[in-house]
Amino acid sequence: MIASVLDGIVLGLQFGLLAAGLTLVYGLGGVLNLAYGQMAVISAMATLFAINAEVPILPAVGIGLAVGVVLGLIFDQTILRPIYRLQGEARVLLSLLLTLGVAFIVDGYLTWRYPTEGLTLRIGGGPIEILGVPMRRGSIVASAITLVALGALFAFFRGTTLGRAVRSVIEDEEGARLVGIDPQRMLRIILALSGLLAALVAVTQSMVRPVTVSAGFGITVFALIVTVVGGLGSVTGAMLAGIILGIVSSIAASSIGTFLSLIILLGAAAVTILIRPSGLLGVRE
Amino acid sequence: MMLEVSGLAAGYQGADVIRDVDFHVDSGEAVMIIGSNGAGKTTLFRSVLGLLAPSSGAVRFEGSDIVGMPAQRIARLGVSFVPAERHLFPRMTVQENLALGAYPDRPDTETMTLVMDLFPRLAERRRQHAGTMSGGEQQMLAMGRALMAKPRLLVLDEPTTGLAPKLAAEAYQALRVLRGRGLTVLVAEQQVPLAMAFSDRGYVLENGMIELEGTSEALSMNPEVRRSYLGVT
Amino acid sequence: MTERFTEATGTALIGGTEERASRSLRALSLPVALIGAVLALAPLWLGDSRVQMGVAVIGLTFACYAIGFNLIFGSTGQLFLCVGALAGLGGYGGAILADTVGLPIIVSIVVATLVASLVGGLLSWIAVRRSLGVIFTGIITLIFALAFENLLLGLGGVSGGESGFPISSGADSFLRRQIPPYYVMLGLMLVFLLAHGLLRRSHVGWAFRALRDDEVAAELAGVDVARYRVYAALIGAAMLGMAGATYAFTEGRISPTTFGFAQVDVVVLVMLAFGGIGTLFGPILGAITFTALDEVLIELGQLRVLVYGILVIVLFLWIPRGVIPTLQGLLRRRRAS
Repeated sequence: MIASVLDGIVLGLQFGLLAAGLTLVYGLGGVLNLAYGQMAVISAMATLFAINAEVPILPAVGIGLAVGVVLGLIFDQTILRPIYRLQGEARVLLSLLLTLGVAFIVDGYLTWRYPTEGLTLRIGGGPIEILGVPMRRGSIVASAITLVALGALFAFFRGTTLGRAVRSVIEDEEGARLVGIDPQRMLRIILALSGLLAALVAVTQSMVRPVTVSAGFGITVFALIVTVVGGLGSVTGAMLAGIILGIVSSIAASSIGTFLSLIILLGAAAVTILIRPSGLLGVRE
Repeated sequence: MMLEVSGLAAGYQGADVIRDVDFHVDSGEAVMIIGSNGAGKTTLFRSVLGLLAPSSGAVRFEGSDIVGMPAQRIARLGVSFVPAERHLFPRMTVQENLALGAYPDRPDTETMTLVMDLFPRLAERRRQHAGTMSGGEQQMLAMGRALMAKPRLLVLDEPTTGLAPKLAAEAYQALRVLRGRGLTVLVAEQQVPLAMAFSDRGYVLENGMIELEGTSEALSMNPEVRRSYLGVT
Repeated sequence: MTERFTEATGTALIGGTEERASRSLRALSLPVALIGAVLALAPLWLGDSRVQMGVAVIGLTFACYAIGFNLIFGSTGQLFLCVGALAGLGGYGGAILADTVGLPIIVSIVVATLVASLVGGLLSWIAVRRSLGVIFTGIITLIFALAFENLLLGLGGVSGGESGFPISSGADSFLRRQIPPYYVMLGLMLVFLLAHGLLRRSHVGWAFRALRDDEVAAELAGVDVARYRVYAALIGAAMLGMAGATYAFTEGRISPTTFGFAQVDVVVLVMLAFGGIGTLFGPILGAITFTALDEVLIELGQLRVLVYGILVIVLFLWIPRGVIPTLQGLLRRRRAS
């Protein structure tokens, strides 16, 4: 049981960091990015290719992260341009459809060209014991990195002027403009950040299990579920929901199997939408 | 002239709400725009300050053309706008709201002290979330936030709406203090007596057009104005 | 304007919905019969190849799906991203009832259709009761679709899991032969088309259009938005379920991917967006176009997904209303000048 809970926490931290990227973009820009999973996969592939080209692990990971940032910026400059001309519900709908199209383009190409590839980062060394349960070293390292990243995010949003400026656009876009903050520029920064987070989760996840080329849509679905439960626009909500759902998923998977445990997660998202659409800590409705 | 507006027309979905509006504000002045509900005061301010694209006309601030410039750029030129709906950041504290007023700079202690002195209630509630404050406190916070940018021109849209008379008087008292320190003020008001006592000059906006203009004194003696806005029959 | 007014008060002024219906039936019969006649000829040159007939049957099935989805989304603006799942309820429901429970095929199809219809109606009712906007309706129905797919995968004992469900009922009947399934699905499609057409011209159709254009105004005009939304969902889902069930019996084997989101929903969405959301013949145009396109692209394998992605983007950026309305707009402009 404790093993399941610990596995759940490892999974949950990843869920939280992943969802943070998706929820920020929605909270700030009213854009639902269904190609999020593909961004993660592309970054993972970039790291893989770098490693295959004899680049040492750390710089290779750096390349993967950089690719993630660049993807976010490319998104902002290309596919999101027509979406920015709309507002509100129309904007979310169009973003949903166009990013779905992009997701299909990327997924179709990658699964056709590299059907069997996947990124795996093997972390050497034996298992580490936590609370009497031997945990794989890869899981521990992944969780440690995720915790540091979450901490950095927190520090950014609470402690820096830029971070507070971003939060202010989520709180009240017009108010932000009145104090001289450019919402478009903030969105660009957040998109680059979401690309970075997707890449980071892909890389850390590969320490636990291989991240394959076809994993894109699955990643997006998980991110969406956690985002909905945590509340659209809230990073703390995403973290909280991530950990809770990670533990639930882990316990369920060990008792009733992976397919049915996914149904439980889906059910959690459905219940949230029906009972408390703003999620645990959400901002937008 | 600090702010010069000529031939301004603006509206929503193709229909102009304001037409052919001319007015100006000189450095150091206090100017009011009065008019009944729906006259177009808010539309006027929004189009001057970059929140709404005007359909025609010119706006110059300190000699430079600012018409069509987005609000966030205008905010950095030395103009601060306090809108009727305030647009505070509800889940951030008073301290954080004020600090952001100075964006992109860090808030400087001198200005912060000034704001706290002008609005002691804000000092008491530094760590309170803006969304949980009363209407009057929020209005003060909105004004304080606008001041953190050290503007040369402060524009306010109906700052006393929903405020108890005591608080409304306090708000205008604060504005007087600020004028004494050299701030130029442009205010749109429905509570005409307060604005009149405070301003040097004024314009009357009705049905989207400027119908009257003059010094506050002249306006206060105008029979039309007395009847429509001062309740004198 | 007068047409709408007459439609709304048709019962009172003209004396009964029967007369309205029979007049509409005549006007509608011609184009539907034409389409039916043309499509009925297809087996003449496709009939020799089992593979090609199979593709044609799938094309007609998707046309049925598109009509059902059109009724739900096009008529009342409810973004149901569970088209495949509702069809799957029909398909798997019918298969389980016939094979495992032993009911006759017709009964199985009817019951499965009813189940799909009720589930669709339930989803709509929930969305209406909780005032879910388009986005959340989409997300909730997507959740249902994913949950259904995982249920099929997880309950392997009942559904056959990943490897699928071979259907033994009707294995010797005409349903499994080369040509008859085509006419069965064609008949189904024509019936759906007629039903949709009649619905549009009735007071129900007027209510649909009113609430899709402006919900608030419709409420004020006395349209019970909630009720009509659920009606549309009940009928649309019934179509989906019936098509899914009938298809399952002609195919003989179904698996979760037969009714998956990527395989059904995305395709139906593209078909309808292309043909014209809310139009009567848009689903047919879209289904024919994309079935043909899919056959042309078959060599590309996985790369087809890429092409679909490009199509989605191009469609929603440049022809968002679909081919039929865009053409109608062009014709109107030419007639005006």
